[in-house]
Amino acid sequence: MRPASPWWRLLTVALVLLIGAGMYWATLKVNYQWRWERVPEYLLVTGGEEVPAPFDGTVAVSGKQIRITPLLGGEAQVIPEIDVVQVSDGEIVFAGNTVGKKAGITPGPLLVGLWVTLKISALSLVFALVLGLIAGLGRVAHNPAARDLAAIYVELIRGTPLLVQMFIVYFFLGTVLNLSGFVAGVTSLAVFTGAYVAEIVRAGIEAVPKGQMEAARSLGMSHWQGMRKVVLPQALKRSLPPLAGQGINLIKDSSLVSIMALTDLTKAGREVVSSTFSPFEVWFTVALMYLLLTGALSVYVRKLEKKMAHD
Amino acid sequence: MNTEQEVLIEAREVEKRYPNGTLALKGVSLAINRGEVVCIIGPSGSGKSTLLRTLNALESISSGEILMDGISVHAAKTDLNALRTHAGMVFQQFNLFPHMTALENIMLAPVEVLKLPAAQARSRAEALLAKVGLADKAGNRPAQLSGGQQQRVAIARALAMQPRVMLFDEPTSALDPEKVGEVLDVMKDLAAEGMTMVVVTHEMGFARAVADRVLFMDRGELVYQDAPEAFFTSASNERLRAFLGQVAAR
Repeated sequence: MRPASPWWRLLTVALVLLIGAGMYWATLKVNYQWRWERVPEYLLVTGGEEVPAPFDGTVAVSGKQIRITPLLGGEAQVIPEIDVVQVSDGEIVFAGNTVGKKAGITPGPLLVGLWVTLKISALSLVFALVLGLIAGLGRVAHNPAARDLAAIYVELIRGTPLLVQMFIVYFFLGTVLNLSGFVAGVTSLAVFTGAYVAEIVRAGIEAVPKGQMEAARSLGMSHWQGMRKVVLPQALKRSLPPLAGQGINLIKDSSLVSIMALTDLTKAGREVVSSTFSPFEVWFTVALMYLLLTGALSVYVRKLEKKMAHD
Repeated sequence: MNTEQEVLIEAREVEKRYPNGTLALKGVSLAINRGEVVCIIGPSGSGKSTLLRTLNALESISSGEILMDGISVHAAKTDLNALRTHAGMVFQQFNLFPHMTALENIMLAPVEVLKLPAAQARSRAEALLAKVGLADKAGNRPAQLSGGQQQRVAIARALAMQPRVMLFDEPTSALDPEKVGEVLDVMKDLAAEGMTMVVVTHEMGFARAVADRVLFMDRGELVYQDAPEAFFTSASNERLRAFLGQVAAR
């Protein structure tokens, strides 16, 4: 094939710039005040962590150490290593008042949210793969009960919206079994994604030629031995690209757990918007952070695919 | 009992009906003696591959009985996995495991099924690869081998279980013409060693030179059987002569 002209690349850049300019022009029309400078402090807090007073009391300062004696009597409490002391000796403070700050950089609400999203996604993915593998094997099993159960699971989950499933898990199961928002979130995401993984696994198994299992059986291997040693290794290799797509969907779907009193990246974004009144900058930033996660996953899977192709 | 005459496989009135009602096997009866080489020929769709696949129960039967070493192959209580270790099978499409090397293909079942120690399975596999003339291909994946080489590995894989009988399902039909000879040579060696063989084939020359007996199947029936000389020269059966005439005209 003749190499394409480099001008096409230039056209792409030009079109992207044009769309960007159009969006900028649109924001000018609504008279929006861009304040990008306010975003970084929600990523990293450089001012240091604020130290609150644990109860109402009288303060005694000695260097970097504060001693608070409760007004209502009882044990005095010592708070060590406060870098910037903001109270003076003998002052009376009330519970929750800031007595000082610790130096250093701490993660802001957006980064904490990113971490929560990452934790939920990774845990859900592991459970979804296990669940999907079991259900996928059930779909192709000879046993009618296993086949029917797997089919019911897949149809039930694929036929209802994730948001509704989350409401059911959080408000119904969560109440009955007393689940935390985190457990409820991981459960609903794993169960939802597992149904799609099951279909990917089933398709992968069915794509392996029938002769492979026949050859294994003709050598005296059991169905399960043939599945484990011959069919599944080939099926999973074929399944890797669609599984990667499902993993990316999982990361994005995890934004729905923000309904469960769980401060993931999306919930953190909403909280930051309500305190900054800069929705455009915050949501663009949040989108970019999701893109980092999904991008990292797809780069990793592409590497894995290359490695497996060589094996 | 004379070993020459000892029956290894016996089929009695075997019928095979597909769910859609077609009758693939119409009451086939035959006996194969230990050490015998039997070739089955016939037009496509005649049921010859189906018959072969019922011998190790890769295909179920509707009625009748098949005995291997006196064990009823299709009885519900029969341990099929144990039985199949005694019947090696070679497929038209080789069916090698593509994610394993030639050596691993051969080692898999001895390790998994016979629970052979890896070292012992390896030396057995290496010896078999040498036997089929592929000692230098041990580390190759099937995709790196020619069709003829793949089929020879597949034969070695089946032999690794030290079977009592080898079943060949059109072993050379998927090969380029120039690769047929190398596979047939391995099969000839095997026959010369006294291996019991049932071979579904279109290779008339092989059947004539190697078989002790040739069977002709047509439309699910075992129409005719005889020693190769008589089979190919003086058979009086109408359908067989028509078939042999068509093959010769190709």
